[in-house]
Amino acid sequence: MSSVIQTPVQTSARADSPAKERSVFNPRLALGTMVGITLLMAAYRIYQQIFAWSAGLDSTDPAFETYWMNLLKGELVLLVCSWVGLWSWLWVTRDRNLAALKPRDEIRRYFNLVLYILVYAFCVYFTGSFFAEMDASWHQTVVRDTAFTPSHVILFYGTIPLYILFGVGAFLYSVTRLPRFAERLSIPFTLAVAGPFLILPNLGYNEWGHAFWMMEEFFSAPLHWGFVVLGWSVLALGGLLLQIAQHMFETMGRLEQEAA
Amino acid sequence: MSAQIQEKNSHVTLYGRRWSKENASISRTFDKLVVVIIFIAMAAAFHLHFQLTVGDWDFWVDWKDRQYWVTATPILLIVFPAALQFVLWEKFRLPIGATVCMLALTAGVWISRYFGFHTWSYFPFSLVFPATAIAGALVLDAVLLLTGSGLLTAVFGGMAFGLLFYPGNWPLLAAYRLPMEAMNSLVSVGDYIGYAYTRTSTPEYLRFIERGTLRTFGGHSAVVSAFFSGFVCILVYLLWWYIGQVMSRVVTVPNRMKSLMGLGDRPDTP
Repeated sequence: MSSVIQTPVQTSARADSPAKERSVFNPRLALGTMVGITLLMAAYRIYQQIFAWSAGLDSTDPAFETYWMNLLKGELVLLVCSWVGLWSWLWVTRDRNLAALKPRDEIRRYFNLVLYILVYAFCVYFTGSFFAEMDASWHQTVVRDTAFTPSHVILFYGTIPLYILFGVGAFLYSVTRLPRFAERLSIPFTLAVAGPFLILPNLGYNEWGHAFWMMEEFFSAPLHWGFVVLGWSVLALGGLLLQIAQHMFETMGRLEQEAA
Repeated sequence: MSAQIQEKNSHVTLYGRRWSKENASISRTFDKLVVVIIFIAMAAAFHLHFQLTVGDWDFWVDWKDRQYWVTATPILLIVFPAALQFVLWEKFRLPIGATVCMLALTAGVWISRYFGFHTWSYFPFSLVFPATAIAGALVLDAVLLLTGSGLLTAVFGGMAFGLLFYPGNWPLLAAYRLPMEAMNSLVSVGDYIGYAYTRTSTPEYLRFIERGTLRTFGGHSAVVSAFFSGFVCILVYLLWWYIGQVMSRVVTVPNRMKSLMGLGDRPDTP
């Protein structure tokens, strides 16, 4: 529930459309993105159900190449395009006159940032909870063949790049559109984005370890504890929450003064 | 309309503070978003932590023994509740940190257990159902609410968290502890389900269950395990209360790329 004050809005340089009555809270894009992500994850899950056992057990099988390596190649292309696309768009469309940002627009951008973080957390859920434990169920049933196995093709090259897209995107959004984040870089925000990002290179180490030591597939093996430590970095969202709350509180005060 | 009525219609008083209605609405919308984000983020991060530390004991009913499972699980489960309790209690006076963590974990675990272990890998749900720690989390939050102290919560709440894990799961587990004879041996129903559904990629000889006896105190090893777990939970809670404090600090550094971003030479905002 957000109330709408019917006053025209003057915005700073580029980022917002000019002189238009707009609510400070518009979740449509974020909700639409989350619906799209849910559909994508459902599609991944169904794909695994149909093709993992039938075509994913033997990496030398031609069917493996058809159903899994082609998917991997598609994901790698999509990964590069989406990262470059979104991050460069955020940079190129940055607000070059943050000093002229009105309090109402600043509040709107804070809400946009929080919605970005919501989408980020949503993607991290599918990686860290849903598909990660599915990876356990796969490896504790099937002897490890290569690092490109059905659970990994979805988890490492599908879901992880997706949350990196939104995590770095949220960080770039804050730095390019919010004055205080542009002035001073937030360490909690950096931790909350960099920690989960580093899970991707840690996966490389993990796969090397599994291949080099021919390990049995305990999930609680010390080789996996790097992921545990990197997962702790999500707690830095607590610091980010406090920072955003402080900023919004101050901006709401200016909004009230402006309205008075 | 008189000025007083206009004033009354445009402002509200919440917790002794006067807000404009718009600001009150902004604040409430922000609160709702944050609750959703915390729930989802905890489901992700706490579940990742949990499955990679005590996951193996939680995945299988025949791994839910009276020693390693009872000891290790509460110790590793108290980590995120302690950190989140710091943030939500010290900064917002909300005594819901542990319960939110545990509900989020339970939701994530049940979803993935069903879609992963059951419908994808075809293990029966009686083999792969997850444990619960919601009872201990409720007590942890209640102790924090009643004492308002992280130290007292660590001592009393942490011990209670460790002690409550085994009895809290007993209603789920009791049926699978019933004895039966299989291949001329005395085994539990849970063991037998495990024999029928072998974990083909994890050798049996490497199971970390019921190693040693813990019979020194002349009785039930689960009780000894639970008390040991409770004592370590106290220490782990204190450590993670302070890690929560560190992680929730607002620390910023100057952005040295300002000129590249076109912001020019401007003084830093304090």
